Amino acid sequence: MTHNWKASMDRVLKVLSGSKRVDKVPYFALIDEQMLTRINGINVRTLYSSPEIYAKSALIATEFLNSDILCLPTVYTGPVEAAAFAEVNNKGTCIKWFDYQPIFVEQGVICKTEEDIERLKIPDHSKSKLWNTTFEASKILYAKTQFPQNVGLGIWSVVQQLRGVQAYRDMRHNPEILLTLCEKIYESEINVFQNWFDKVGVSPYIFYAGYAFNRTMMSFQDAMKYEGQFIKRLQKEIGVPFILHNCGMQPYFEEACREISFAAVNGSHPLDINFWINFKKQFPKVTIMGANIDVSQEMLTGTPADVEAKVKENIINLAPKGRYMVSPVCCLPFNLPLPNVMAVSSAIEKYGTYPIQEIGE
Amino acid sequence: MSEEEILIKIKDSIVKGEEEQAIDYTKEAIKLAIDVKTILNKGIIEATQIVGKFFENGEYFLPDLLISADAMVGVMDILRPKLLSDVTQKTNATIIIGSVEGDVHSIGKSLMCSLLEGQGFHVIDLGTDVPPARFIEEAKKVLPAIIGLSGLLTLSINKMRETVYLLREEGVTSKIIVGGGILTKEAVALIGADDYATDGWEGLKKIKQLLERGR
Repeated sequence: MTHNWKASMDRVLKVLSGSKRVDKVPYFALIDEQMLTRINGINVRTLYSSPEIYAKSALIATEFLNSDILCLPTVYTGPVEAAAFAEVNNKGTCIKWFDYQPIFVEQGVICKTEEDIERLKIPDHSKSKLWNTTFEASKILYAKTQFPQNVGLGIWSVVQQLRGVQAYRDMRHNPEILLTLCEKIYESEINVFQNWFDKVGVSPYIFYAGYAFNRTMMSFQDAMKYEGQFIKRLQKEIGVPFILHNCGMQPYFEEACREISFAAVNGSHPLDINFWINFKKQFPKVTIMGANIDVSQEMLTGTPADVEAKVKENIINLAPKGRYMVSPVCCLPFNLPLPNVMAVSSAIEKYGTYPIQEIGE
Repeated sequence: MSEEEILIKIKDSIVKGEEEQAIDYTKEAIKLAIDVKTILNKGIIEATQIVGKFFENGEYFLPDLLISADAMVGVMDILRPKLLSDVTQKTNATIIIGSVEGDVHSIGKSLMCSLLEGQGFHVIDLGTDVPPARFIEEAKKVLPAIIGLSGLLTLSINKMRETVYLLREEGVTSKIIVGGGILTKEAVALIGADDYATDGWEGLKKIKQLLERGR
């Protein structure tokens, strides 16, 4: 059956806006190179070899998994952004390619020294081959589906790639140099957004990887200093809705939503469903994309029945009043048993059609 | 400065992550002929307990843990040659550590290395994206007490499983601990490791427990 992208878009936009007239709980599968290569039977170099192949592969994988959200994994200022920095700063040798997973850079090589940060050149993404393939592929996808897509931004995700563990020492020993790096990455993020917008011609959602918002890594004050303040500036400059993603174990979702306006949050921790029930009460206008379905838990080591039970738990607790999307977090890894992956969309079909009865009704 | 005062200064400097001060006070303590075992116990070990408590209480975070560990490493570098054999036997077990093949994330692994070195362990860091064969080669060469496999990606769970399997097939009997925020009890059962940790501090505690059990 052909995927109805108009229905998916309608579903997703209505959920994000809080509309009660939604037919079904939407499904957001975080699909990166691992699933794209697995489902399409190609390797990463082939995947990136042309915008046409990339767009077609993304569409095939997304439709195969019945996801309601369509986006490309490289429209994300994580490793691919670090690779753009590596290229423009003549450190391309630190880029590592893998057959069936995203490219990565060796953490901490690009900005090994403080001088590296001072001299760091900001990439012009219109001149990057991979970024251009990405922009072109996004344009193809938009032309085919009219689906608005996400652009993934994130300051700390790039800081970690460029500066590595040294960034955490800088936080205490030399915060100024760290802020200089954050400013340069900020400028680069704007360049990514502008290029995507110029090429595709529509407003995306910002899928913001807020990795600093994690208690295992830093205090909330530091998270605001090195990430939060930049999100506020980006929001002012870009003016589109932001979704906060954090796949860490102890994210600051509540604290972040008190300080910054987000349309949605995407994460799987804490794994206690009661946290998410309370979150919904506290932030009724913030859509939850995810809750406690984690790709390293039931989806990896459980059975399809375990996955179904988990999806059901999320739907019956969080979906009845809307503003909820099922989303296992984080990216679906290459090694997940396929029956477990497919159990997510089957469970949505089974339990996610509105009206959904509230517990206790 | 009295012996007690200087030991407090060493401890406080480590807790605050003031590496240079910690080194200066340690040198001064040695000049005053304070017993190295006393410096180790009253300086490093007490500081470790305080830092750990702060981390567990949410007063300290990764940056604080890291700079404290750096200060400990600085102090240990001075103490190590002077430590008596009975102490070194307890503290300088060899640990080889690396991020498994396909995973180039290094932040968690680097923190772990610093924490271990600060406690006097002899750490061999194999780097990132380390194939199983490299772990086997190094393990056969140095016969480590512990092998640490690090990974951030869920995909790394399979590679950890493969690495543990191959290490055991090759007759490596070292204790194996896996580390990463993605790990669960169920995943570790699948991997077949002796233990796991989801953060550096937990990793340090678990490694010490593994060594105690293995004694």
